[in-house]
Amino acid sequence: MSKVDLSFIFAVLTKGVMTTVIVTLGACVVAIVLGLFVGLTRVSPRRQLRWFSIAYIEFFRGTSMLVQLYWWFFVLPIFGIFLSPWTVGILGIGMNASGYAAEYVRAAIQAVDRGQYEASTALNFSRLTMMRRIILPQAMRAMLPTWGNMLIDVLKGSSLVFFITIPEFTSAAKQAADATGDYMLFFAVALFGYYIIARALITPFVRWLERRVSRGFVREQVA
Amino acid sequence: MSEFVLRFEDDLTKRPRASARRDELDLDIRRSEKVMNEPIVRFENVTKRYGALTVLDELNLEIARNEKVSIIGPSGSGKTTVLRMLMTLEHINGGVIWVDGEPLTHTQKNGQIVPASERHLRRVRAKIGMVFQHFNLFPHMTALQNCMEAPISVLGLSKKEAEARAAELLDLVGLGDKKNHFPIQLSGGQKQRVAIARALAMRPKVMLFDEVTSALDPELVGEVLNVIRKLSAEHDLTMLMVTHQMGFAKEFSDRVCFFSGGKIVEQGPPSQLLGNPQNERTQQFLNAVLETR
Ligand SMILES: Nc1ncnc2c1ncn2[C@@H]1O[C@H](COP(=O)(O)OP(=O)(O)OP(=O)(O)O)[C@@H](O)[C@H]1O
Ligand SMILES: [Mg+2]
Repeated sequence: MSKVDLSFIFAVLTKGVMTTVIVTLGACVVAIVLGLFVGLTRVSPRRQLRWFSIAYIEFFRGTSMLVQLYWWFFVLPIFGIFLSPWTVGILGIGMNASGYAAEYVRAAIQAVDRGQYEASTALNFSRLTMMRRIILPQAMRAMLPTWGNMLIDVLKGSSLVFFITIPEFTSAAKQAADATGDYMLFFAVALFGYYIIARALITPFVRWLERRVSRGFVREQVA
Repeated sequence: MSEFVLRFEDDLTKRPRASARRDELDLDIRRSEKVMNEPIVRFENVTKRYGALTVLDELNLEIARNEKVSIIGPSGSGKTTVLRMLMTLEHINGGVIWVDGEPLTHTQKNGQIVPASERHLRRVRAKIGMVFQHFNLFPHMTALQNCMEAPISVLGLSKKEAEARAAELLDLVGLGDKKNHFPIQLSGGQKQRVAIARALAMRPKVMLFDEVTSALDPELVGEVLNVIRKLSAEHDLTMLMVTHQMGFAKEFSDRVCFFSGGKIVEQGPPSQLLGNPQNERTQQFLNAVLETR
């Protein structure tokens, strides 16, 4: 181990962590935005929109994530569409997760009390306003715990970008282990590294969202 | 009375969309031909079925402007269904509901009656407000926000206007000091009073009350009924109320309708219908209700 340049290993690992964090954050944003959009179309009164969202969800949930990445990366160029590895990594992982997210959104929307829809109709809300102001804020609260899990899955799944040429945390750990022969140490680093990223990044974010959307659901001091 | 009533009309016409203007004009002409004593709500042979079950069978019911009508009857007789159809929460399977001279769920096109567009539905529905048995307040909003949301996003009021209106109405229902409470921080009676204020903030012409005190502890019933009493005394509002409170129906209503098996079996002024019912089924029902007292 002493023979190998330690600073080199440190640099490789740092770069890997940065890559993983960036891909994860980007994919999370994609998953949240697309998940919300597709989840909303999934409960649309328009049949064509519902069909579109069902097909979307089936495709992204039902097929392998790695194969999806390979398609975006190796097959699309055959049709003249060239995407950078980073674009494919972030969009590909995000879209895959958005298939799950959309289902969580649908379930949470449908779980909102019928009385809320009826009161909204009685107050003459348009469907869009009802969704935006009444239903979604309540559905958000119900779906956040499942979203926490989904985002952690995104983090773990982000290692697949290695297969489309981006060196990330897992591959960096492997590289360091290969170079030094100390597999136990570097895979331990990887193991705890992911855990720490999840705890430092995702958990606080979900907690913060949870606090924001739980106004009125817990008895609290009147402002 | 004065201001509150005067402003009833203006919200509806406040922001007429260009495309909506033409049929609004047509309607104005048609409306002006009609006399004001035309009923504000008219059920014409309205039928409602759930699968094979016919809940309402060719119902005919007229409600005059500012009339207070109570609906009583045994469980399952279709009382709630009547209100829900009027609020457009249920489709109807036959007949026409007229609101203020217009068909509610249909429009007339070249003399033909066709299903109404969402725009038509929303315009006519704006005349009706409803208070539910289980309040259905928005849990993520304070009492004040509950009353402001629809005036802002549906009627297009400014935040300031909506807040003034909401505060005034919360005062009216005696909750001026609970404006910033969330529903979970309110008692059942207080929630129901917020729900009444919320519905009133839309300035409806017709208010529907569906057993609004049934989910309340007995000692909270009075505060809600007092609010309704006050409304009925001080404001020009047509009210249609499903209730099991016979005493209240008696003092409050101009007319009581007894429903049974999806039909109005008997109706009349409360003193007559509750005091001296003619129909056998009405007598049975009233006896049963009075016994449990
Ligand atoms: N969504 C539905 N699907 C099937 N049947 C229904 C539905 N809603 C109501 N019904 C039936 O319609 C009938 C009338 O119901 P409604 O709620 O109008 O009665 P009600 O007079 O309000 O009774 P209650 O005094 O118990 O509230 C009942 O037999 C009920 O079972
Ligand atoms: Mg009922």
